[in-house]
Amino acid sequence: MDPAAGSGALWVGLRRRSANGEGGRGTRRVRVRCRRGPPGCRAPGTMEPAEAEFLAEKELVTIVPNFSLDRIHLIGGDLGPFNPGLPVEVPVWLAINLKQRQKCRLIPPEWMDVEKLEEIRDQERKEDTFTPMPSPYYMELTKLLLNYASDNIPKADEIRTLVKDTWDTRIAKLRLSADSFVKQQEAHAKVRWGRLERFASSVLGVFQMPCDCVGL
Amino acid sequence: MSEAYFPVGPGLGLEENFLSLDDILMSQEKLPGRAESTLPRLAFALGQGAGAGSGDSIPEGSKLEIPLWLAKGLHDSKRRIISMELPKIYKEAWRTVFSADANVVDLHKMGPYYYGFGSQLLNFDNPENPEIAQTILQTFISRFRRIMDSSQNAYNEDTSALVARLDELERALFRAGQKGLNDFQCWEKGQASQITASSLVQNYGKRKFTDMDG
Repeated sequence: MDPAAGSGALWVGLRRRSANGEGGRGTRRVRVRCRRGPPGCRAPGTMEPAEAEFLAEKELVTIVPNFSLDRIHLIGGDLGPFNPGLPVEVPVWLAINLKQRQKCRLIPPEWMDVEKLEEIRDQERKEDTFTPMPSPYYMELTKLLLNYASDNIPKADEIRTLVKDTWDTRIAKLRLSADSFVKQQEAHAKVRWGRLERFASSVLGVFQMPCDCVGL
Repeated sequence: MSEAYFPVGPGLGLEENFLSLDDILMSQEKLPGRAESTLPRLAFALGQGAGAGSGDSIPEGSKLEIPLWLAKGLHDSKRRIISMELPKIYKEAWRTVFSADANVVDLHKMGPYYYGFGSQLLNFDNPENPEIAQTILQTFISRFRRIMDSSQNAYNEDTSALVARLDELERALFRAGQKGLNDFQCWEKGQASQITASSLVQNYGKRKFTDMDG
């Protein structure tokens, strides 16, 4: 077994011999396996919440600046010309920075609205599978936007509560399916879960499954 | 936040990782056996005690307790040198205990490497191997839920009571679950974005900026 491949990842490898007792290679493994993650992270496959947040900051959000600036050219792409009073789309990291310097006003994303979130929360509670969330980074975006720009977002506290409720329901489903995955001795959890965000899997640490799961 | 190095984990199934500390410690566990033929001049290494003077040979058929790494090395299919028996926790009596309720067993006392050692025992040809493998698997499955739940819900508590009855592999799982939980809570509180000195550097003993005079 290649030591480098095993470094950091935690494997539970239990082989089960085939029922006829023949000691050949007809064995099945049960393993709890870590998903691939960005290189250089702590264990091949798991991601910390802080890393998930870093990736979330690349998402685009609309702001209304109060200054003017020509188009700026960055390695990752261009950020459009800024004119006071005209909405423009920028990545979240820039939006937060401008907001902290009081140079813009944030416009909440369209899914960050009380009725929509209530709908999503109710649907999550009804269904056994994971409902598709409006953004793969809804947890991080909620935390960032509500921490730095809660004055621009109407009913911020309710939104925070709704997102937390949805999150709790999803995590409970994740734990339940992790448990039944192990009980049923699946070789891989090839189960489709809708879109399970990386953030949820980072919380479970090593208990996470490979991404795609078919409805349990 | 990130660790300074990645330790090599234990091996999977019947294989051992040569560089893994867990595997090295695990293979030090002893198992009972018998000498199938006379082993000349090995009484000092394998013998039971002061009865045999040094330099004597181990007579055929005498009972030995040898560590796993030695047993694996001396074991061969013609079985001329040594024959190994199962330790008692992998035998029939304990197997029924595990199948009755695996949650109450103190796996740490039973040899802290129950799963790893049991997987290595499958290397020896033994007619009970399928049952042993099945028992190990079922034990893990029944204990998994409790480990996952307790590790994900014990925040900032003393976990020694929860961890006391787990074997080493389960403890590693528990630690991973705790880490996930702590990282999440730390992120929620906003501490994840605070810059702290790395644990490696703190040990250097360099004088801090504020301590310098002049």
